[in-house]
Amino acid sequence: MEQPRPVTVETGAGAPGWDRAQVMLPVFAVIALLGGLFPSFSLSANLLVVLVGGVMCWLGLAGRLGRRPAPTRLRRGALAWLVPVLTLALVELYTFSRKDPAHPTLSLLADPVLDGYLARAACYFVWLAGFWGLVRR
Amino acid sequence: MSVATMIIIGLFAVAGVAFLVVEVLARRPGSTIPTFGDLTAAILRFEVSRIPVGRIGVYGFWWWVGWHFFAR
Repeated sequence: MEQPRPVTVETGAGAPGWDRAQVMLPVFAVIALLGGLFPSFSLSANLLVVLVGGVMCWLGLAGRLGRRPAPTRLRRGALAWLVPVLTLALVELYTFSRKDPAHPTLSLLADPVLDGYLARAACYFVWLAGFWGLVRR
Repeated sequence: MSVATMIIIGLFAVAGVAFLVVEVLARRPGSTIPTFGDLTAAILRFEVSRIPVGRIGVYGFWWWVGWHFFAR
């Protein structure tokens, strides 16, 4: 039977105690609720994304946080991921090249959804949580 | 909504379903397919001359995604 993997096996020197999900998820919720208020193309929306993204990149590149285990080598089955990735990339590339509202890109399709505050805040939270997942990997 | 738009939405949905299918296949016991998390982790660990090229690329992409959807 497959044994569950530990959540963290590598811990950076002097890893802080605040990097737990119980601490970070409420922080992300507050940032997402704030970010959802800012409309696209506004200075505040740009500043928040640049600030939050910059902090995340710094945390991830500094390597002081604990990281989850990672495989040293990818198995050949990794090629299976080309199917969804290439499908998405080709459809996006095609719609982007058409520049026609009848052939909408993913971001054009997302615009009406992201116009609503709750959906925008929820997507902001998913983006932040995803970024955190990448930083901890 | 035009037929072309519906086809495009359908194709995006196919891509999304394909992501889910591959992830489910990867989580089966004995699977040779890495999970999306393991795949991402391997990319993140890619370095050239000790420069974390994978990490810079993936963080940069995800940062751009946030900027594109929430600030543009």
